[in-house]
Amino acid sequence: MLAPRFNTRESERARAEPLELSLYSRDAGLANGQAGAVCFPRDASDVAFAVATCKKLGVPFVARGSGTGLAGGATPLDDALVIVTTQMNRVISIDAASRTAWVEPGLLNLDLTRAAQPYGLHYAPDPSSQQACSIGGNVATNAGGPHCLSSGSTTAHVLAVEAVLPNGEVAMLGSTAPDQPGFDLRGIFVGSEGMLGIATKVLVKLVPNPPQIQTMLLDFMSIDEAAATVSAIIAAGIMPAALEMMDSRITAAVEDFVGAGYPRDAAAVLLVEVDGLSGGVDHQASLITEIGRAHGAREVRLARSESERQLLWKGRKSAFGAIARIAPDYYLHDAVVPRSKLVGVLRTIYEIADSHDLTMMNVFHAGDGNLHPLIVFDRRVIGVWERVQAAGTEILERCLAAGGVLSGEHGIGLEKRAMMAQFFSEADLELQARVADALDPHGLANPGKVLPAGFRCGEVGINRTLPEGTWI
Amino acid sequence: MNSRFDPTVESVNASELVDPTGSRTHSGLGRRARDGSIEISAPAGIVSHDPDDLVVTVLAGTKVSEFSDAIGLQKQFVPLDPRSDQATVGGVIASGLSGVRRLGFGPLRDNLLEVRFVTGYGKLVKVGGPTVKNVTGFDIPRLLVGSLGTLGLIVQATFRCRPLPSESRWFTTSSEPGGALQKMFRPTAILSDSRSTYVLLSGEAVDVATSCRLLASCTETADVQLPEGPHRGRMSVAPATLASVEMQLRATKASDLRWLIEWGVGTIHLAADSSTSIALARAIAVDAGGWLLIEDGAEDLDPFGVTIPNLAIMSRLKRAFDPDEKFARGRFG
Amino acid sequence: MKSGPLGLDPELLNACVSCGLCLPHCPTFRVTGLEIASPRGRIAAMNAVETGMAPLKRPFIDAMAECVQCLGCETACPSGVRFGRLMEDSRATIAHRSGLRALLSRAFGAIAYRRLLPNQHVLHLLSWVLLVAQRMRVMPKRFRSSVPRLTRHRLRRTLNVTVGGNPDVWLFTGCVMDAWLQKTHVATAAALRSTGVRIARPDSRAGCCGALAAHAGRRDIARSLAKSVVAAMPGAAPIIVNSAGCGAALKDYGHLLGDADAERFAARVFDISEWLVAQTASPLATEARTSIVIQDPCHLRNVQRTHDSVRLLLGGAFALLETNDDGMCCGAGGGYAANQPDLSTKITKRKAKALRDAGASTDVAVCSSNPGCTFALEAAGFKVVHPAELYADCIAPDRGEPRNG
Ligand SMILES: Cc1cc2nc3c(=O)[nH]c(=O)nc-3n(C[C@H](O)[C@H](O)[C@H](O)COP(=O)(O)OP(=O)(O)OC[C@H]3O[C@@H](n4cnc5c(N)ncnc54)[C@H](O)[C@@H]3O)c2cc1C
Ligand code: SF4
Ligand code: SF4
Repeated sequence: MLAPRFNTRESERARAEPLELSLYSRDAGLANGQAGAVCFPRDASDVAFAVATCKKLGVPFVARGSGTGLAGGATPLDDALVIVTTQMNRVISIDAASRTAWVEPGLLNLDLTRAAQPYGLHYAPDPSSQQACSIGGNVATNAGGPHCLSSGSTTAHVLAVEAVLPNGEVAMLGSTAPDQPGFDLRGIFVGSEGMLGIATKVLVKLVPNPPQIQTMLLDFMSIDEAAATVSAIIAAGIMPAALEMMDSRITAAVEDFVGAGYPRDAAAVLLVEVDGLSGGVDHQASLITEIGRAHGAREVRLARSESERQLLWKGRKSAFGAIARIAPDYYLHDAVVPRSKLVGVLRTIYEIADSHDLTMMNVFHAGDGNLHPLIVFDRRVIGVWERVQAAGTEILERCLAAGGVLSGEHGIGLEKRAMMAQFFSEADLELQARVADALDPHGLANPGKVLPAGFRCGEVGINRTLPEGTWI
Repeated sequence: MNSRFDPTVESVNASELVDPTGSRTHSGLGRRARDGSIEISAPAGIVSHDPDDLVVTVLAGTKVSEFSDAIGLQKQFVPLDPRSDQATVGGVIASGLSGVRRLGFGPLRDNLLEVRFVTGYGKLVKVGGPTVKNVTGFDIPRLLVGSLGTLGLIVQATFRCRPLPSESRWFTTSSEPGGALQKMFRPTAILSDSRSTYVLLSGEAVDVATSCRLLASCTETADVQLPEGPHRGRMSVAPATLASVEMQLRATKASDLRWLIEWGVGTIHLAADSSTSIALARAIAVDAGGWLLIEDGAEDLDPFGVTIPNLAIMSRLKRAFDPDEKFARGRFG
Repeated sequence: MKSGPLGLDPELLNACVSCGLCLPHCPTFRVTGLEIASPRGRIAAMNAVETGMAPLKRPFIDAMAECVQCLGCETACPSGVRFGRLMEDSRATIAHRSGLRALLSRAFGAIAYRRLLPNQHVLHLLSWVLLVAQRMRVMPKRFRSSVPRLTRHRLRRTLNVTVGGNPDVWLFTGCVMDAWLQKTHVATAAALRSTGVRIARPDSRAGCCGALAAHAGRRDIARSLAKSVVAAMPGAAPIIVNSAGCGAALKDYGHLLGDADAERFAARVFDISEWLVAQTASPLATEARTSIVIQDPCHLRNVQRTHDSVRLLLGGAFALLETNDDGMCCGAGGGYAANQPDLSTKITKRKAKALRDAGASTDVAVCSSNPGCTFALEAAGFKVVHPAELYADCIAPDRGEPRNG
């Protein structure tokens, strides 16, 4: 019923062929949904038209960038219209003097950095998926990345967002001036996972490339030692540009793909980067080396060239993808814990996986305490999925008990929404629902995400159950 | 939830109109009618400071001076930088005024992790989360920054701390500020008034020295003070327009107008002996596509001065937090 | 789990975790933004057909046909998904299904892959026909970028190499390369001889490597061609190939033919740059340092993965300029330009921009080692040279063979 309406505009911009629709039924997470139609807007007015049409028909809509989300955020429910931004992928303008750029939401993160390169600038948030994920998706999930440790997640790098609100209006949230009077609407939009509207244009901050960078690889014979090193680096007041940890299974899988010289026999490696002016870089690098050695680092390797550095990062950034080399499926959490508690938390979550007879591995933004415990399995094994879920829940409970949160960067989406009640009280969730209801009274913007069932008012009457064949 | 907050929740529930109050150091901001409002203050005190994790939780009624001293003992800081350190932490959040170190340490909102507050419908809620990175639920803490008491009574906040830099020094320079900004790597602040350019450099001593050498001249100076006067305002314009805005400020020939520009940020702190000069400055700001917020005095001027963008959206949000318009009635719709 | 209508190996299919990291490396995704034109989408579509969720009909068949088979996705995929295998297997099933369309395309394939390409005489004759067609401007549009501008000079047979025998190394001459790029063969022969080896070319049995047939899903034809290629180059001598596509095909004979002899044969195959770099202790070094833009043919970069040897070979004598597009495909892709002219043109445009951004111009040539890419880029207005030609010019500046023409 949706597609014909778009066809009157231009047939290339909407599709409803079943095979093609099925390709939009999920993102890089596990959940499957069902799209009713999919459209490919070229500008804000196309998006506004799509949203207005949905509003008229009472059909839900879901924004989708590259579909690399890991929480089912872009998974359509209830035959929603999927609004895909891949054809809105231009860099509109770069202002090198103010170090800002206006971009369209479908622009890939890495393409933005490439466009900024000639000016000696780059876009700081660098999710491991940066080659593939879109700026719109980054804004919607408030994406982080290894280098967000010192520079902050996406929200710290977005100055303004032009968005089509759930009622079909186009609004400019934020401004080139630092403080717009009133509420920080830009701030609430970033990280709203497509539930408060669809970004159609984004003003991002660009940052100058650091004059000096030192990348270091520290390897350890035990996970405890590596985790203790992370805690000690933070406790010493050092703020590396990036501080990442990979355990032995991940390291081996990654090494098979990139051949960067990661030690296959280490129990854990830390990839640390410090940047800035030479004095600070040297000082921090030597402190980190010292701390590493004091905690049992077997070797501290310094990248000697830019290409060696690139290769090390390529390894880290391929980690999730490389998992399939071990088992065909993975279930991933994204909890954050206080960095002072890393040793204990890590130890327990490995124990939890063991107790369920599951293989768990970890590759994560250690400097932020942002864990990515990853349980690998083969869904074809009977009963394994129940164990995976049980272990996942226990792991999260342990992280929350340590003073942590559910998600550091991937978002809540569809997959983690049921767990929200473990972190927030009913009153907390009620407020979040009130915020969503205020901007989206009919509950059509990416419904069924983030908030657990039963909190939104627009929910009544919409079939919130997952369709047949859903596997989550 | 937490008995410590019960009295605040009760007082909010018992009152028809509420005026969340801190130390009144920013009371000129956004001016409001107080008739019949009950002033309610948040409790004070440091709740917890985990220096190894660089995170601190503080009750909103705590004075910034006490807060800074407490975490300073562990050689850490949070760049709140209010005009007066007698301001309360909650007041700083609600006023949303970032300090002059924003260029280096980011705006206030980027340093705030979790907030607990009492809504207009009388519930104590938690938004955000206590870790340095978090996307669990909507990012509501940012809405509270600069909400000027309209969304609720802030009772507790969690911030990320930073280690005190080994060196942090102010310099004056004859370099032109815009050029200095392009040349230097991560300066903490570049300011200028009608006479001079000021640069704040923090980090290792060698790096401070290296950065200095990039400037035409570099003389150490005392801390830079914000302009003072009976009428004060804060201008917010696109950083790219700062040079031309400054030229226009000079062109007003208003001899009582004093300013301090934050380069790379786009904030201009203004003070004047007469509100007419502030009005002149506001016209320049509006002309440049920006705003001028009255911080103090200038009673004859509207506190915001222009139609607030997206007011309709804001009023819908305001009603979500405060359906009966208990808090700061009339502001933001 | 057993395989379905496409007969794909379920393990290969399951290896894709839907992460999407391959998307930006896929030329058809880049120019359309459609999931169905992406590697992840194509795999999901294969899965849908295999599990009976979608029929083995259009649009599935179109989606398979739209793939350039550049394998940019395979290089990018951290999970090691064997996309090339999945695509070839799917196409094999599609090619052998019943129905009129399939029948016609099989008949066309049989003529093109079995009678035309492997037969030097027929190909040569056809070249003259095409030359005339070009002169009379009656060349069908869809072939314009897959056939270079033919001239009498271009069609002159100048390669002077013994046929058969017992050489130190074989120079594989192939079909299109031999017909339209003799100058590259001449340069390759000069480069090889400069290392002191005796060379020979195979006899007419090695008329075509069979790559185009295999990509089209015609493994039966590809196998029979491969068998004669193997038979034409007996012995243990290394086999040097100067076409990236043919080299990739020859290196894959072990898999295609599935026997130990073929494996041994495949192990003897080297790309010309790969081989030269391994032979010469210190490749070129000159002061001149002419600028040259490197274009990695997909079959060199994503299949043979020896594209670095071109850089090692030429780096000492040329200022190598790199494109900023992760070595994205140029859209030529064997028969792709003729089969999917619209997509192909869009992809080539994108590549052309990347090459120009890197510095390619009327003065600065593009260096490529694949005939398909060479023709497409020439059609897009670039001056294209083969690494072997650049190398030969450096070691024998006055060998008198014009670089272009
Ligand atoms: C291998 C791998 C590594 C990853 N590493 C990281 C990492 O290091 N850090 C990290 O933060 N994430 C990471 N992710 C997760 C993912 O890449 C991010 O969440 C990313 O921001 C999603 O971008 P996308 O374009 O793919 O968005 P999608 O998956 O298409 O969408 C994500 C969400 O954003 C919404 N959305 C998309 N576009 C818009 C728009 N224009 N307006 C409003 N809402 C919109 C969708 O509705 C959905 O809720 C990784 C994923 C993978 C597969
Ligand atoms: S083919 Fe590889 S890179 Fe592409 S989605 Fe599948 S697993 Fe990811
Ligand atoms: S082979 Fe090339 S065109 Fe085909 S899916 Fe892979 S990257 Fe895309």
